[in-house]
Formats: sequence, structure tokens, C-alpha cells
Amino acid sequence: MSPSLKTSGAALWQRPMAAIVTLALCVALVAGTAWTVLFEIERLTSSKADGLQWSLSQADVEFLNFRLQLQAAQEAVEDGSAPDVVQRALRDTRLRFDVFYSRMNTVDFSEPFDSIEREQALTIPRGEVVAFLDRTIPLIDGDDAKLAAALPAIAEDAAATGVAVRAFSLAALDAFVRVADANEASLIRKLSLIAAVLFAFIAGLSLIALVLMRLTREAREHAELAEGRANRMHTIVETSLDAIVVTDDLGVIRDYNSAAERIFGYRRDEAIGRRVRDILMTNDQADELQNVVRNVMKARERGDHILHPHEVIAVDRFGRRFPAEVSFDRAADDEHLYVSFVRDISLRKAQEEMITQARDRALAGERSKSEFLAVMSHEMRTPLNGLLGSMQLLRDHELNETQSELLDLMQGSGEHLLGLVNDVLDLAKFEAGKMKAESRPFSVSRLMDGVVESTATLASSNGNDLSWSWVGPASDRLTGDSRKIRQILLNLVSNAAKFTRGGGIDIEVEMLGAERNQIEFRVIDSGIGIAEGDIERIFNDFETLDSSYARQAGGTGLGLGIVRRLAKVMDAELGAESEPGDGSLFWIRIPVSEAAAQDEAVGSESQAPAAVPMEVLLVEDNEINRFIAREMLESDGHTVTEAVDGQAGVEWANAQRFDVILMDISMPVMDGAEAACRIRAGNGASADVPIVALTAHALPEEIERFRAVGISQTLPKPIDRKVLARCLNDIVGGRLSGPGAEPQEADVAAPLIDRDQIETLLAGTGVETGRKLLERFTAETDGCIAALVSGPGDRSEIARLAHACAGTCGTFGLTALRRALADIETKTKRNQDVAQDELAALEPLWRDSLDQLRAIDKRLAVA
Amino acid sequence: MFALPRLAKRLSALAVIAASFAAPALPALAQDAEPILLTVLDEEGTVLAEFTLADLEAFPVAEIDTTTNWTDGMQEFTGVPLQILVDAVAPDAKALDLTAINDYAVTIPRDGWDQDYPILAYRNHGQTMSVREKGPLWIVYPYDVSSAYRTDVIHFRSVWQLDRLRVID
Repeated sequence: MSPSLKTSGAALWQRPMAAIVTLALCVALVAGTAWTVLFEIERLTSSKADGLQWSLSQADVEFLNFRLQLQAAQEAVEDGSAPDVVQRALRDTRLRFDVFYSRMNTVDFSEPFDSIEREQALTIPRGEVVAFLDRTIPLIDGDDAKLAAALPAIAEDAAATGVAVRAFSLAALDAFVRVADANEASLIRKLSLIAAVLFAFIAGLSLIALVLMRLTREAREHAELAEGRANRMHTIVETSLDAIVVTDDLGVIRDYNSAAERIFGYRRDEAIGRRVRDILMTNDQADELQNVVRNVMKARERGDHILHPHEVIAVDRFGRRFPAEVSFDRAADDEHLYVSFVRDISLRKAQEEMITQARDRALAGERSKSEFLAVMSHEMRTPLNGLLGSMQLLRDHELNETQSELLDLMQGSGEHLLGLVNDVLDLAKFEAGKMKAESRPFSVSRLMDGVVESTATLASSNGNDLSWSWVGPASDRLTGDSRKIRQILLNLVSNAAKFTRGGGIDIEVEMLGAERNQIEFRVIDSGIGIAEGDIERIFNDFETLDSSYARQAGGTGLGLGIVRRLAKVMDAELGAESEPGDGSLFWIRIPVSEAAAQDEAVGSESQAPAAVPMEVLLVEDNEINRFIAREMLESDGHTVTEAVDGQAGVEWANAQRFDVILMDISMPVMDGAEAACRIRAGNGASADVPIVALTAHALPEEIERFRAVGISQTLPKPIDRKVLARCLNDIVGGRLSGPGAEPQEADVAAPLIDRDQIETLLAGTGVETGRKLLERFTAETDGCIAALVSGPGDRSEIARLAHACAGTCGTFGLTALRRALADIETKTKRNQDVAQDELAALEPLWRDSLDQLRAIDKRLAVA
Repeated sequence: MFALPRLAKRLSALAVIAASFAAPALPALAQDAEPILLTVLDEEGTVLAEFTLADLEAFPVAEIDTTTNWTDGMQEFTGVPLQILVDAVAPDAKALDLTAINDYAVTIPRDGWDQDYPILAYRNHGQTMSVREKGPLWIVYPYDVSSAYRTDVIHFRSVWQLDRLRVID
């Protein structure tokens, strides 16, 4: 409703009020007036002034009569008339006196006279008259003789009093006239008032009539407006494509539009009066819909205005069941009426179904492709590992120069082939969405040296110089995903090497941004370059540019595609610039952070393994792999027992105690995970020995699964001699143990500090509290470490200290220290002795961790 | 009809008894000791009847307690309803001329009296009324009962010092 309509609505509401007030006023006025009039009528009809005028005039007359009679009686007495004549004359005299007396009395009692008699002009003559009457009464009341004797005196007295009588009646008349005049004036005033009231009444009535007229007109206009609106609404309802069904709260149809006729097949007159559940849907559906309506209405009463459509299965006249979407609300003017819009969505549903199916098919295809690639790569890597391992072992034998060159060639080809297979496997991993960026401290110089070292052969084979250098200030210690960066750089450099002959390949490294939170690597070659139009394409999968060089260089065309994916995983930017003939520049900008402190873990990569002879159980079904692994282990001085499948492995483990079990995962009969589980579950001699999984396809969640069944560590296949040696070394050093050992990273030792953990802690407590906690933690851990280093001797005491300390270390993200402590605890629990050296090593580890913790986070450094 | 007063004079001894019958009370014989209060005349001036106080008191008694315009305070009038008196002397009277000692006169038509009012009062507060007190007879209406008894006409008909009554046929 528009604001103007609202305003007129308010005025409409006020106007009847005004009319009512006016009417009430009129009624009150009329009532008041009527009462006044009635009172006046009463006053007029109860005449009290009546005889006063008469009485006043009569007073004169009667006084005169008295005097005449007095004179007659006097004459009769003087003339010596007969006694009875005298007697009658005297009697009449008395009578006339009494009449006059009575008259004066009457005048006295007359009510209008009350107001008159106070006037002096009146009271003086009246006093004289009364005095005369009082004087005369004794004479009148005396016997005849006495009266006869007194007659002359009375006559004389009466003659003198006559003036007073006259004066009295005149004064009274005058006063009376004035009273009458005042009454008249009062009457006129009242009549005028009545006239005014009548006028006001008529004016009020006219006003009311006017208001009523206006109200009528407005009501008519409103009715017309409402009719217009209703017509419009009718048009809207009838042209709606959705069925509109109006029901009451019992579900009986009250209205039904033409779209509803079309959708449901019932005519309007057939549908109205019947229940929705009887004709438009099944009872179940109607019950459900009713519940939904109830809930939604409740929600709306709470002010939750949701208008989501509800889906039901509707039925039409011909029994066709179809999905329909219902939206509804209570009618604004009647809370027992519901308006529902029903839309037949069977077509949409069918389309959705088709799309879903198409998508599922596409996904399934994609999945099977990825699986196929993964399986193929895996299957190809196994024999390839056999070849490469054999070649490595062949070098232990004496070879002549030709054989040695051939072996180099074979090994080169083999490694290239392995690289291709790895590429495809990586791609499959990307497709599975299982690649995530890691964040660990690393050394840029070490990384770059490694890259250059790895690609030097390839570069030099084409007569290219290869070098790397810093541009701008160097920043060696960073935190990021060094493995992926390395893979990217290897791809870019080998790509450059392929397309450059007798030129140079430079890798420039530069820290970008004011906060130095981005590192840029630029791989610049002086090769053939790329045409501008091709630059867009080069990062696509399987893209090989049609040039003799490209064909010459070979490759899957996956290299740059993998680079693109790796860059995306790390949120890095990637680009290329090139001038055909002048060489190419590939750049990548990777977000990193500077690792502030010296990180011991960074250096561990190149540590030389120290071989301690061990009893090794090797569970591997593939004969070649088994042979190679055995050769590697034995050449490092270990004793190897072989098992050809999981079942055999379990039997060996039960029968004999080993120092370590190397377990292949994919095996027939019983796979590695199952075997590990059984070994742990059994009571055999090697039930608690560390188990190392060997697998070519270790995805993160699989590693988790392995850990769950008691596998301490996972080594990737093909087995790298150095990695294997370091792993075994860790086991000897107790850094890896049996079941329950903390999970460890595959090829990089645990960092001292877990930054994420610190951030979590600080976010939870705030810097101030964090600092206090750190102080307390430092004091406690100092004491605890000191106690452990001094060697308590009692195993349970060591376990208690280690456990308590490990918990708090974990809270502060001191990962390395926590692991060391956990290892000690585990050993004591297994009733193994803990070497004094191991305990002593805790002291420097704690110092280093604390230093790094403070260095990493300046906010905590104050403590 | 005109014989009735004369008959009444002779049967004065029976007056009290007669008053209890339907026949009107008979006026007592005029005695010297007892003054005549009311004289009833016909249109020609012929005396139809004369009433002493005792004669009037022989009629059924009516009482009116009321205030009047001409007196102070509540009055207690005792008298005979005018109709009873009229029925006794001139049942067919169409009007009455009432005349007072002071020669005030007023005519009351037939519909001016009913079976109750006015009365012809001969006592006030139980005492006979002297001429000075507007006696001896006074036509009285119950003024306090209704405004219908407070109109000018009623006031004019309230004749005091009444002594003559002329019947108009």
C-alpha cells in the first residue's frame, strides 16, 4: 500500500471520530437546552406572580372600601340610627378592616414580594400601614360602643394612612415591574441561548452530514480501487504458469487457477471443495507437506522469514505422478487460508537426472583413466627398478671401459624412462587431487646446488653451461615446499637444456616484495626460443611444439604441464617470455617465508649413513626387487632373511626376532598392510619390531593407514640406497621404533619447531598469556630435562618425566624434542634400557629448540 | 330540587344521620348563634341554601396539606370537596360563580372540579379561619402535588374569604 493511501486511511479513521465528537456535543447541547426549557416551562406554569398585581391594586381599593364603610358607620352613629343599623354598619366596618388586613398579609406572603420588600421605598410606607393596622386592631376588636366611640379617631388615622397605603402599593408596583422586567430579560436571554444552541446543533448536523458524505464518497472510491486491484490480481493469478491453489487449514481447496486446471487436469469447479490429499497428492505426501507448512509457519512467527520451495510428488487426474515444487504462505487477510504455488518440475528433474548421469559417467571415465595411468606407471616402475638396481649392482663388479660406457648409456636411458613414468604418475596424482603444498624450512643454496648437480649432465651433453646466482640480497633459509620447487626447477632446466645447443642456461634467484615473502626463479636459456603464439600453449599437457628440435628432444610433453600444476598447488605464479632464436625465460614466483633460525634438519639430507649390522626380514614378492634390496642391505653389512609374500613374512616374524622388517605393500596372498597388522597383533618374537613399508604409490592417506596397522615408516620405491641406509640408521639410533612410534616424515627429519602449532597457541591465548605460558613452560622443562639428563635410573621415573615433558613440548610445537621424549617413553614402557647418551642428547636439543622458538617468534622473545 | 333546602331546615336533627346516606347533607337551620358561612344562590339571585360551619362539617371531610403562594409554611386544610357540595345543592350546575367578601369573583366551569378537588376549606391547622386569615371559606387545591395545580387559572380560582356561590345552569 502506498504512503498516500495510508495517510488517507488515517484521515478516514479520524473523520468518523470527529463526527462522533460533534454528534455528542450536539446531543449534550440539545439535552442541556431541553432541560433549561423544561425548567423554564415549569417556572412559567407554576405562576407565583399571579395575583400580586391584583393584590396591590386591591390593597388600595379595599383600604378605600374600609374608609367608606368607616365613614358610613360614623354617619350612622352620629345620625342616631336604629341600633341594628348601627350594629350592621359596625359589623361591616370590622369586615372591611379584616379584608384590608388580610390583603396586606397576603401581599406580605407573596413570594415575588420577598425580593421587593427589602427596598426602602417600600419598607417605610409598609411600616406605616402595619403600624396603623396594629394601632387599630384593639379598637376594631373592642365592643360596639367602644368602636362606635373610636370611629372618628380611626377615620382620621385612616385618612392619614391613606397616603402610606398609596405609596406602598405604588412602590411595590414599581419594584414588581422591575422584577418582571428582569424576568423578561432572563427569559429573552434563555430564548436567545436556545436559538444559539439550535443554530449550533444545525451546524453540527450539517458538519456530520458533510463528513458522512465525504466518507461515503471515499468508501466508494476505495471500493472501486479494491475492485481494480482484484481484477489485476485475477489477471496475475490466471496468467501464472504455476498452479495456484488456495486452501483452508483443513486442506480443502477454496480457489484454483487455470494453470492448476492444466497441470492437475481437474476443472476448477471439480477441484473446489475437495481436499488436496484426496485429489492432488497421496496421503503420505500431504502429511509431509502439512508438517513442512506447520514448521515454516512456526519459523515465520519467530521472525524467520524463509520461503524455500518444498518438493512433493503430485498426482494428476489421470494418475500421473510428477515431481512438483510447492511454495506457500498464509493469506495476509485470513490466517486460515493458505496460498500455494505449485510448479511441475518433472522436465527439470529429468534434465537434472541426465546431467547427473553424464557427469557421473565423465567422472568415472576420468577416474578409470587416472587409475589406469597410476597402475600402468606402477607396473612399469617395478621392472624398471629391476633394471636400474641391477645396473647399480653391476658397477660393484669389474667392468672394462666399453662395458662401463654401455652401462652408463643403459643407466641414462633407464633413468630417463623412469623420469617419464614418474611424470605420468605425478599427473595421475594431480588428477586425483591428492597433491598438497608442504611447508618446511629449506636452504635455497643447497636446493639450487642439487638442481644444478642433477641437470648438469643433461646440460653438458648438449654443450651448455649451467649456473645459478642470486639477484639482489640472498636469503638462504626459507620455509616452503622445497620438493615441489626442486621438481619445477628440474623440469624447467631440463626443458631449457633440451632446446639449447652450445649455449648457456642461467638460473636467477631473487627475493621479491618489501616483506620478502615471494621468491622468483628465472630459468634463462639462449636456445631456440618459442614463437609468441605458442607461449600460451606450452604449459598444456602433452604439448610438443612441432619443430625438429622438439622431436629430437623427445619427451612426453608433460613436463611443463606438471610445472603448471605444481605451481598451482603452491599458489605460485608462472610465466614465460621468449624471442624465437634468442632464447627463453621461464619465471616462477612462489610465496615463501623466511626461516629465521638455523634448522638442523636442513642439513640432515646429506648425512652419511653409518652402518650398524642388523637382522633384516625382507618381505617382497618380486624376485628382482627382492634381489636388489638384498644386495643393497648385504653390501652395507646387514643380514637379510627373505619372505616371498605376506603370509611367509608373518610366519618368519613369529618365529624369529629381527631388528627391522622391510615390507612390500602390494603382494599376492597377503598384502603388506595385512601382514604388518598380523605381526603386531600376534605374540611372535618380532611382534614389536619396527616395520618399514616399501611402496611405489604412497599417498598421504595410505601412509596414515599403514601407521594405523603398525607400520613405522614408509620408503618410496624404487629403493634409494642412501635413503634406506639412513632409515636403518634411524632405527638403530632409536629414532624409529615399533608400534606407537610417532609418525615421521619419509625423507626429511622432523623440524625443531612446528610454526603452525605456535600460531594456533597464540591465536588461542593471546600474546600476553602466551608469553607467560612460555615462561612457565621454560622453567618446567628446564627442570624436567635436567632430571632426565642426570639419569634417574628408575625406568618408571624416566617414563613419567618424559611423558609429562613431551605433552607440553607438543603444545609449544617443539616437534623434535617431543619425538625424542616420546621415543624414550616408549622404550621404557617396553622395558628397554634407555642409553645414557640418548638422555644426554636431550639437553642440546632443548636449548636449540628454545632458541629457535624465541627467534622465530619475536613476540615471545621478550620472555 | 329547590324544596330541598327548606326540607333540610326542618330535618336538621337528622343531618348527621343523613350525611352517611347517598342523599346530600342537609344544611342546618340558621340560628342566631351560628353565623352563616356560605350562601348558595341561583342565577336569579334566589337563595338556594345557606350553610353554617356545622352544616359543612356534616359533609364528608377532605384534607389537603400543602403550601400556598399566599401563606408561610405548610398548611393543613380541612374542608368538603366542592363536588359533594355542588351535588347536594345543584347537581346539574354547569358552572359556579364564586364571590368573596372582598367582592373578588371568579367563574369555575363544570370541568373545573372533580370528585376530589378543589375543596371548600373551612379549617386550617384544625382551626376555623377568621376573615383576617382569609376565612371563613377558602377554595383550596393541592398545589404541591403537581404543576397542574400551580397554573394561573388554578391560582385565580383559589378564592379566599369566600361567602357566596352562584349556581349557573
